[in-house]
Order: sequence, then C-alpha cells, then structure tokens
Amino acid sequence: MKNLFIITVSFLLSFSYSQAQILAGTLNVTGMPSFTQSVNAVVVEAGVDDASVGFESNFDATKIGFVLDPILLLSSSLLCEQNVYRYKVYINSVNAPANITIEAKTTVNSGQRFPTVSIYDTLLIKPLGQRNLMPSNGGNYIVVPNNATQAVKIMEFIGCRKDIPIQFRIKPSSLCPAGTYNIEIKYTVVASLTL
Amino acid sequence: MKNTDYILAALFTLCFAVCGAQEILNVTISSNFIFGGGQQSNFATLSLQPIAILDAEPDPSNTISFGLNSTTLEAGLPATGVGGIATNENIWLNYTYRGVNFANAKIYVRTNQIVPAGIVIKIQVIAATSIGGSYIPNQNSSPITLSSAEQILINSFASGYTGNGLGTGYNLRITVENQSGLSLPSGFEIIYEIK
Repeated sequence: MKNLFIITVSFLLSFSYSQAQILAGTLNVTGMPSFTQSVNAVVVEAGVDDASVGFESNFDATKIGFVLDPILLLSSSLLCEQNVYRYKVYINSVNAPANITIEAKTTVNSGQRFPTVSIYDTLLIKPLGQRNLMPSNGGNYIVVPNNATQAVKIMEFIGCRKDIPIQFRIKPSSLCPAGTYNIEIKYTVVASLTL
Repeated sequence: MKNTDYILAALFTLCFAVCGAQEILNVTISSNFIFGGGQQSNFATLSLQPIAILDAEPDPSNTISFGLNSTTLEAGLPATGVGGIATNENIWLNYTYRGVNFANAKIYVRTNQIVPAGIVIKIQVIAATSIGGSYIPNQNSSPITLSSAEQILINSFASGYTGNGLGTGYNLRITVENQSGLSLPSGFEIIYEIK
C-alpha cells in the first residue's frame, strides 16, 4: 500500500512538473468564412424545416496551425523538432443567432507536420506516437456549441502542425429570420505531454 | 461475484461514460490552455435566404370534384347529385416561411377565373394542427366566399413551418353551392398565396 501511494504521488508530481515544461507556442487562425446560403440550398417542400437541408462551406474555410515560439537563436522549426507535445483543439462560437446549428470537421492527418521531417519520426519508440492528426467523431461533423464558456474538441494532433483545414456545415431553421449575421468562432488549444 | 467481475464492470462503465462522450472544455479558465496552448478566434458571416413556400395537400392529387357521378346514371331515372351543396374537408395547407428581418406574412386565397353566376364557393379553416412543425396558428376562422379578388385566409404570422403532409398545418373546408348543376370553366383553380 505504501509503495502504491509513493508511485501515485510521484506520478502526479511528474504530471504537474511536465505541464510546466511545455514550451509556449502560437495558435494561428486564418480565413474569414462566409456562409452564404444559395437558393439551391433552401428547402423545397412546404411544411418542412429548412434545417433539414443545410449547406457546407469550402473544405478549408478556416485554417489553423500551432507552432512553438522561437527562443533567442532557436527557431520554431528546431524547437518543434525537439519538443513534441499532444495538442487538443476545441471549438465554440459566440453570437450565432438562435435556431442555427453550426457544425465543423476536419479529416484524418489534414494539414502539414511542422517541420515536415523530424528526428522524432525516426525514433524507435515515439513517446506520444506518430505525429498524426486525429479528428473527433471519426472525421464526421460535430456540433459547434454556441456558448462563450463551453467548447467541444474537434481534433487532436501530435507535434507542431500548420494549415489544418476546417470545413463547416450550417443547418438554419426556418425560425431564424433571413439576413446577414456575424459570428465569432473561437479555437482553444490545450497542450500536454500525456499519452 | 468475484472481485475481478466488479472491476471489469466498473471499467466498462467508466469507459462508456468517458470514451463515448465528446470532450468539453471550459474555455474561460485560462489555466486550461495557458501552459503551451493558446486561444484565437476569427469572424464568419452568415447570410440566409428568405423562404415562402406553400402547398395544398394531398399533392399532387388535390383536385376537388363536385357534381354528377356518371357511374350512377341510368336512363329513365332522375340524375342525382347534379345540383345542391357539396363539401370537402380533406385539403391541408402546409407552409414554410422565413421572413426578412422578422417581417410577418399572410396567406391569401382567390380564384384564377371569375366564379360563374349560380355557383358559390366558400372556404374556411376548420382546424390547425402540427405534426413535426413549429408555428403559431392564426387563421381567419370565418367562411370566405371565393372570388378572383384575394382575401386573407391566414392572418399575420412569423417565421415557422407547419410540418408536411395530411393532418398537419391548416385543415380547409371547401363548400360548393351549386343548385343549378352548373359547371366550372375549364382550368378553374383556387390559388393560395403566401406573402
């Protein structure tokens, strides 16, 4: 029992210490998505809600990336090669109108590893696994919560990564008035050293 | 039950709760992403089309027939069903409406040709129900004597949808008073319009 306690405490301390060791990075978000409903994307059967139709954005309506910040003479590329972490990406929206459902997705291994080639890839045992990207929900759409507080995980990836495309699908209920709306879409990246 | 069974059951329950659920993050707690993570946002614009579609169910078989039943005619006997009053209560109006900037709409009714003298056609909303729809009924419950001039059948209503098919939306009663057994002109139609 004593040994078990020591192991547990050691593990927890190690975890806390590891978090503090994670280097700072920059989340880059590009693209100003324009979700414009065409006349062909409108419900055609009277009595049916327009949300049953929905319409999609381009597959790369937004691109995101996360790389470590350079430190003095050490470049981002070098730091990303030598410091591989797990990154979880969460998404939420703010100020979306009522009766609108926004969904988002990306695909397996979308975007580009940074750097493209790394010593980490040649390791016999890779502590966090391959530098891959795993989308949530198997790459199918997930609902983006319209909530300033709560965000849902859309993907996770190992190591720095650039130009990850995100596609959106909008399901607008007929209850939502026609017009133009501005919506803020937020991305939050959480880094860790855990498996 | 062995202890191992309990442990397996607990693990299975835990996995079901954790593995099957989407990961949610409270993005207002900066400590969630401050160690090596980040937070950014971009803005999207959403443009929705106005919708105003209306359907008289059953569709396409919503023709209303009154008058002589040729299968019951027999030479030498009186021709029954030629004149009198006939009623049809099997027509349902379905609509899907999305207004611009919260503008309401109405549903009007008229005929596409002048109703022949000697024939009176009345229309009345006798029920409003919703199966899978989302709308607030606001019908004109009084019988309307049809003419080629448009008259209000459904009073002002907001964006919504009635549900599709028979048994949902507005149930109409159409009465034809035709004491002289006259015929309607070819191509005679009852027109419903949402605007």
